[in-house]
Amino acid sequence: MPSMTPATHAAFEGRVDPAAIRVKLANQRGPRFWRSLEELADSEGFRAWLRSEHPAIAEAASLDRRDFLKLLGASLALAGLAGCSHPPRSQIVPYVHKPVGQVDGLPRYFATTLTRNGYARGVLVRNDMGRPTKVEGNPQHPASLGSTDIFAQAAILQLWDPDRSQSVMRGDSVATWDDFAAALTERVAHFHANRGDGLRVLVGPTTSPTLIAQLAVFEKRFPGARWHVDDPAGIAGRNEFARYRFDRAKVIVSLDADFLSDPAAGVRYSRDFIAARNPEDGGVMSRLYVVEPTPSVTGSMADHRLPLASRDIETFAAQLAARLESGGDATTISGYGRWIEAVARDLDANRGACTVVAGDSQPEPVHAFARSMNQLLGNVGRTVEYAPSLLANPANGDGSLAALTDDMRAGKVDTLLMLGVNPAYDASADMDFVAALRRVPHTFHLGLYFDETGRRAAWHVPQAHELEAWGDALAFDGTASIAQPLIAPLYDGHAAIEVMALLLGDSVDGHAVVRRQWQSQLADHKAWNEALQAGVITNDASKLNPGGASNGSATTSMSSLPRKREPGVFSPTPKSPRSGASRGVRNDGQSKGEGLELLFRPDPTIGHGEWSNNGWLQELPKPLTQLTWDNVVLVSPALAKRKGLRNFDGVELRSGGRALRGPVWIMPGQAERSVTIHFGYGRTQAGRVANGQGFDAYVLRTKDFPWLATDLEIIPTGERYEIAQTQHHFAIEGRDPLRVGTLDEFRTDPGFATAHDRYGEKPPSLYPDYPKADYAWGMSIDLNACIGCKACTIACQAENNIPIVGKEQVRRGREMHWIRVDRYYDGDGANPASYSQPVPCMMCEHAPCEVVCPVDATVHDAEGLNVQVYNRCVGTRFCSNNCPYKVRRFNFMQYADKRTPQYMAMRNPQVTVRRRGVMEKCTYCIQRIETAHIEADKHSRRIRDGEIVTACQAACPTQAIRFGDIADKASGVAKAKASPRNYAMLNELGTRPRTTYLARIRNPNPALEDGES
Amino acid sequence: MAQLFSKRFSFWFQLCLLAVAISFVSWVFLWRWAMANPVGVHDPVEQVVPFSHKHHVGDDGIDCRYCHQSVEQSAFAGIPPLSTCMTCHSQLYTHQEMLAPLLTAFDSGVPLHWQRVYKLPDFVYFNHGIHVAKGIGCASCHGQVDEMPLMARNEHLTMQWCLACHRDPARHLRPRDQEFNLHWHAKDQLALGTVLMRKYHIDTRRLTDCSTCHR
Repeated sequence: MPSMTPATHAAFEGRVDPAAIRVKLANQRGPRFWRSLEELADSEGFRAWLRSEHPAIAEAASLDRRDFLKLLGASLALAGLAGCSHPPRSQIVPYVHKPVGQVDGLPRYFATTLTRNGYARGVLVRNDMGRPTKVEGNPQHPASLGSTDIFAQAAILQLWDPDRSQSVMRGDSVATWDDFAAALTERVAHFHANRGDGLRVLVGPTTSPTLIAQLAVFEKRFPGARWHVDDPAGIAGRNEFARYRFDRAKVIVSLDADFLSDPAAGVRYSRDFIAARNPEDGGVMSRLYVVEPTPSVTGSMADHRLPLASRDIETFAAQLAARLESGGDATTISGYGRWIEAVARDLDANRGACTVVAGDSQPEPVHAFARSMNQLLGNVGRTVEYAPSLLANPANGDGSLAALTDDMRAGKVDTLLMLGVNPAYDASADMDFVAALRRVPHTFHLGLYFDETGRRAAWHVPQAHELEAWGDALAFDGTASIAQPLIAPLYDGHAAIEVMALLLGDSVDGHAVVRRQWQSQLADHKAWNEALQAGVITNDASKLNPGGASNGSATTSMSSLPRKREPGVFSPTPKSPRSGASRGVRNDGQSKGEGLELLFRPDPTIGHGEWSNNGWLQELPKPLTQLTWDNVVLVSPALAKRKGLRNFDGVELRSGGRALRGPVWIMPGQAERSVTIHFGYGRTQAGRVANGQGFDAYVLRTKDFPWLATDLEIIPTGERYEIAQTQHHFAIEGRDPLRVGTLDEFRTDPGFATAHDRYGEKPPSLYPDYPKADYAWGMSIDLNACIGCKACTIACQAENNIPIVGKEQVRRGREMHWIRVDRYYDGDGANPASYSQPVPCMMCEHAPCEVVCPVDATVHDAEGLNVQVYNRCVGTRFCSNNCPYKVRRFNFMQYADKRTPQYMAMRNPQVTVRRRGVMEKCTYCIQRIETAHIEADKHSRRIRDGEIVTACQAACPTQAIRFGDIADKASGVAKAKASPRNYAMLNELGTRPRTTYLARIRNPNPALEDGES
Repeated sequence: MAQLFSKRFSFWFQLCLLAVAISFVSWVFLWRWAMANPVGVHDPVEQVVPFSHKHHVGDDGIDCRYCHQSVEQSAFAGIPPLSTCMTCHSQLYTHQEMLAPLLTAFDSGVPLHWQRVYKLPDFVYFNHGIHVAKGIGCASCHGQVDEMPLMARNEHLTMQWCLACHRDPARHLRPRDQEFNLHWHAKDQLALGTVLMRKYHIDTRRLTDCSTCHR
């Protein structure tokens, strides 16, 4: 549990006065962007926090001279003691037989498949002499197109996580795989006689053709047995799956759909969405409307955003659909009539080139409305396609976890095999899975971790990580790909398909099982190898027809739509019991008290709990809230004011007779009566990283209404929590780091971004220019394309061996991320526009850090890189003090773990692991520059444009980051910098940064411009 | 006025100063000793199999790249897999006692552990490939390997030594076809070096940048 002593820097958080904020906004001069409500209120505490460079040092600095000398003496003595040994003698261990194609010391890339919620994302994994060390996107895979999200990047840390389950467990004692195989085979033998009655298998959401085929054999061989899907994301029960082409859409309406973070296709959707957001000459600039109860990444990209309670979105959809169908004037609708009218006109004007998207957490009727609107507008087959879901569902009977739990409780289950799932943690509270599990005599669990479920099962087997096992999966569009292991299982783990093979009496060899599955399509060795090499199976028959052949069934007419005449009395008409149960929304119309609603969401960085023990994802500031290491209760500013709540005040949430406690976070843009909590925290058996962090949101979840509870009561408890948030860290005070304009402003004045810069591109300087070299490395970041997903931050962390520092150190402002993503708000707290700005090192040509270093540890190289020399650095931190962009990070402690063998194997061998007391910062991935340099120099040729791709650039789903030689006018980065939107952050300081930004362009609807944003 | 400090006090004070000075100097020496590379220059390093470069290179004339295969492509020159040793030693000297560890390792699949002779600090990123491509011969750093029965380090590998060449590469450049010849010497190294500098497009502006070797 979080401790409840007053937060040390929380002093200023209580002084947010909404009235004062309003006055301040009204009298605005100077920069209009703000990062937090405290900054907007400009409280005294906030300014004091901001003034110190590393704010938390002030706390530790109360050292008098005598203590200082004592410590100095002690540290000298200790330094001497530690040195009493030679550097270790090292050894070289050659191969006995060298792998084919291996060149010692050079990395190799292998295509494979990672899954999220069952859907495939194609990746290329770097293998350094047998060790997987970095994930990149696979350009040939439709869900990746060469980019990745934070989860694909963090898979490397998950693979090497020392907390992973390392041995077969029988109860509390260590056993072997053979013991387990004997026990499972012995159990299964019983079921051959009775057709399988009482035998159950529980899997996660899956599209794997191999696993699905195995489950089909299982169903046939054991007609009485059944299999179920543990699906905390609530997507497996859907019969239909919509696939969008955002690159073809000029108007997009999102009904609580965070499609840019979609687990299956978010990376692809982001690329497509940004492809149609090009304000420059000849480009298409789409318009995005978002209606949502709680701010999302997609919401932050909206041109118009309407905060609306989740349960009211159905009404909104109905009203919009009615307006589109019958015409008329919607402005009479109270509340958001003008909004509906403007959206409807925009949609009408772009028939066939617009799309309406319904969110996963919305009930079936909203999906039906969205679909019928798309039909009416002629979008189906153009910007959206509907196809049967690719996720596996059992043919016989109810495959939900709830049905399984009922059967378990009723004593109908004798043997339960749980493959790669953790229902003891992620089942809805009202299922009471743990109690039901006690009634099952024989339980087997396969899991990556010896987790909540593993510890309650009679047998636990370590699961092979996706990078250790053979497998296959389908992408969101049906493209199949094979997963090949990058390394032999570290802990003798086995994949789900191998355990299924064991159950079915097959050979337990993942490769053989997958190979056999694809025998018909990839008959010969050549075809198989080509499929492995490309990472996609190109002749796949299961791929959806891009033209939309599956639209034959998509003929729902408007008249057959569920209609919602009066808000609050609509009863959902689900298409099947399963889909209704898993996707329904409690809408009983008798919400008591204040009419608050509680929304459940997967955590933006650790999902439903499957990523809980991943330190990179825990420490990644969550998009929009910038919180780390914890989950919080998101409330709107208005609700907080009514309840007298400040940030990190404790509250008790009560719903359905259950309660939980957690800290409050006041979320600008949150719908007034909506309260949001995130899954993934409150783990007890996840590992050392996750145990005890945050609260368990599943406690309030119910199986029938998994996304919403309308009987919420919120009671302040008077507790205070200590939460690590990076909102104010590295704030660039009172300056103008972000430039935003509307499309009209840009068209009339293309140079608006730099119009108010005091100097031109080259401010006067007393320092001489650096001599020209062969290359001048530079970077351009397109703020118009940045969606704030933070894939760059994690990619950088993986590439550059950046350590995590832990919650306590983050609270002191000591996080080590080399590229941070700042979030700015514009407008009032109820519904501000929000913007993201990635900030790596600016690589200033006249770098303020260099002139203050007493030991020349940070200097320029010939090609314009501001390099940091770790072996020279003595840790004065003067450079950090003098950096106006605050991009330098100091190793206050020995953050990099140099002892754990798994972490030693995980690291990029091309980058130094930094020790305590040295400064570090973004290097523009100098190891990649040098590698390309050496290759080009070997052949005495120039480095080609695009040959060097930085880690952040490679990961970015929207290609917002471009890197290259700015002296070469034909290079991509030089062309980007030639845009009129190009501006330098803090240009007036004369630092001449090599990293520059392209201003963000909004495309608001003139009809709504003077109203809400 | 009486003396401020007594004689006795001055004596002890001076003694203390001396003690401080001596301890400082001894710390420095202790530190240097402790930080010294475990393998001294020209000290032969004992190996699990007493592999002789003198025999294989000097007597048999095996090319460096027969074993160190990746020296032209990679940062790492490569240590031969045991299967390379077995191309000959599956037939030759199979009953010699000193080869027993090799045969055992090959049969069991448990690799040999060679003692490392050349080791740079972790923050230094030396690349064999580019040095070979730009005309630096093996002997420039590794010395007369063909005269070493057991491998020994030929240089201190200090940064000063690296920089001496990076500042003035012309003194060490060779024609590409003489790089693996351990006994080649130029008639007029400076004249040849100047020509080769141009031929290999060696740009000294970058050679002493920190980023060339440190990442």
